[in-house]
Amino acid sequence: MPLVMVVDDDQDLAEMLSIVLNGAGMEVDLVGRGDEVMELFTANPPDLVLLDVMLPGIDGIEVCKLIREKSMVPIVMLTAKSDTQDVVLGLEAGADDYMVKPFKHQELVARINTRLRRTTKVGTLKIGDILIDQMEHTIARAGKQIPLTRLEFDLLVALAKEPGRVFTREALLSEVWGYQHAADTRLVNVHVQRLRSKIEADAENPELVLTVRGVGYKAGPVKE
Amino acid sequence: MFTNKLRLKQSLGLRVLVTNITFVILAVTLIGVTVYSRVSSTVINEKIAISKVETQNALMLAQGHFDLARFQNDTELRNVVNDFITSSREDGSLSGRETVLLRIPNSGPAKDIYQTVPTLLSLDSIPQEFRDQVITSDKILDIRSTIKYSNGVSNPGFILGGKLKIPRSGDYAIYYLFNLDAQYQTINSIAWNLFFFGFLLVLLIGLITRLLIKLVVSPVTDAAAIAEKFTAGDFSSRMQVTGEDELASLGRSFNEMASSIQQQIDRLKNLSQLQQRFVSDVSHELRTPLTTMRMAAEIIHDQRATFADAALARSAELLINQIDRFELLLSDLLEVSRFDANEAMLDFKNFDLTEVVRKTIDYLHPTKIDHFEINIPTYPVMVDGDPRRIERILRNLVANAIDHGEGKPVKIELAESENEVAISVRDFGLGFNETDAKKLFDRFWRADPSRARTSGGTGLGLSIALEDAKLHQGELLAWGKPNQGAHFVLTLPKRRGDLIQSHPIFIIPNDLI
Repeated sequence: MPLVMVVDDDQDLAEMLSIVLNGAGMEVDLVGRGDEVMELFTANPPDLVLLDVMLPGIDGIEVCKLIREKSMVPIVMLTAKSDTQDVVLGLEAGADDYMVKPFKHQELVARINTRLRRTTKVGTLKIGDILIDQMEHTIARAGKQIPLTRLEFDLLVALAKEPGRVFTREALLSEVWGYQHAADTRLVNVHVQRLRSKIEADAENPELVLTVRGVGYKAGPVKE
Repeated sequence: MFTNKLRLKQSLGLRVLVTNITFVILAVTLIGVTVYSRVSSTVINEKIAISKVETQNALMLAQGHFDLARFQNDTELRNVVNDFITSSREDGSLSGRETVLLRIPNSGPAKDIYQTVPTLLSLDSIPQEFRDQVITSDKILDIRSTIKYSNGVSNPGFILGGKLKIPRSGDYAIYYLFNLDAQYQTINSIAWNLFFFGFLLVLLIGLITRLLIKLVVSPVTDAAAIAEKFTAGDFSSRMQVTGEDELASLGRSFNEMASSIQQQIDRLKNLSQLQQRFVSDVSHELRTPLTTMRMAAEIIHDQRATFADAALARSAELLINQIDRFELLLSDLLEVSRFDANEAMLDFKNFDLTEVVRKTIDYLHPTKIDHFEINIPTYPVMVDGDPRRIERILRNLVANAIDHGEGKPVKIELAESENEVAISVRDFGLGFNETDAKKLFDRFWRADPSRARTSGGTGLGLSIALEDAKLHQGELLAWGKPNQGAHFVLTLPKRRGDLIQSHPIFIIPNDLI
């Protein structure tokens, strides 16, 4: 059973979330304060973190940064404000996805499942000078591994699978994040930037994840 | 001319300057003219008076000589008379005096006749009337006259006339013609001086006035400029205050007023910001409990098939519906607070409006499509705007039309002009009266509180629609009559930043014209 860490100071909501997630076949760890997250996180590493932005102790964005220093675990943020800087800050701090309150429980479960899904495919893909091992969920340049979050890995795989195709942001949202309806394209922008900063030699002049102006993104040519 | 007048009206300084200079010119002219006439008459009259006394004395002396010479022989008498005449003429040549001696006809034995008239002098200079007066009078008489010369020259002057009795010859009229040229030159030079210094005075006073105006008016001008800035919304401007005079006190009062206004405005601003933040905070704070409620309700709702009690199952449905409505209300409230805080942003795109209209209708009411009478172009109508907001306006209008349309058809029309595009939604339901028309766009206003709510709208729909239209520099107008239905027309400029100049769809519905 996957373990989900729910970080929320609202006890009723936290309890409700654990009821819903338990019902969907997941185990839940509840944390009520931002500054208590890392202790439990180290002691009992979860498969996914559900993180409220407003927290006592330290706020969700700081927590997100702390987790990212240690782990590539998927992080989904919970926010009451979709139109503020919070969302962008959270994504830049390393969150994979966010959900705006109030949300439907099916939607929450679907989103968590997308993030937990392990595409168990065999074989390797190439993008630029990078080798992607789909089985092992690792990427490497010249034999040296580069750590990626699962979402970043999925994003890279999506692009590398179809080298010629130009992906619109909406297509990526559906493919990687599992959104069926149009959603916030900032998600794609922020994560492409993060991915580039990890894999590109020069993030200002990307050669692996190319921008197609006015359309979206595509994979760069394979180099031997 | 008009602009000059306007400038005169607009500038206090210029007006003061012009008024002041006008008065100074008037005063200087008056004083100048008075001084001139006083001086000139004094100079001339003095000259006449002195000349008169001198002449009187001279004539008396001459008469004495003549009377004494009477007892001598003719030659001696002649010498005395001729001496008198010669000396008279010679004296006169120095002071510009001409002497004329004329015998009065039929006045004695006329043994010897003397006569002297300067060669160039024209005898016309002595008027006949004056001659007659002199002959009949015993006094020295004077008259102002022009002294004319036969060579065409004429000078202003005066004439003194007296009588002499020359023994053994008869009565003579003697005229002294005085040239006033020198006096007039003096007077002219005084006039020129008066004019020159008067002009200088006007200039000087003008300059001083300008200086004073600058001193007095420039703080007023400053105050006006600052007041204008104030009007434009810059509440930080203040007047510079120096010294302790009236202007400084004006400046201080002005600044005090400005501070007080600024404080009031800041206070109001703070209040309204506080209120906006409150609405926004409340909307956000309610979201967390709403999330819990929604999830709890959904779990109950999912299980309703297993409930033995039908009422319990129905309650679960009602709960979910009301939570949906609650959520809608919250997001509308949030949107309104964004409008109030001027934080609403347009995501401009160039898009086909006809497609948005079709999508709205299809999406909203797939089952009620027969209710609509749609009249929109088959070709694309491109506009600059935020499609999400425009779709929201339409959704509101169409939902309203269905709510209040009493099941009668709803007409939707799209028309364009060169620069504008308009969409109208017409229903034939209950309509509204004039009193209601004014409140139509008010928040939380409902046409008829006693009527059942079919759609469960939030009561913020039209107010948000109006704000959305305004964000696009567009217009949202409403027409309605009791029992004749309502007509809403949204007019938008096709290009971003343009203003509406014409209305492709008239607000009074076609079917009534």
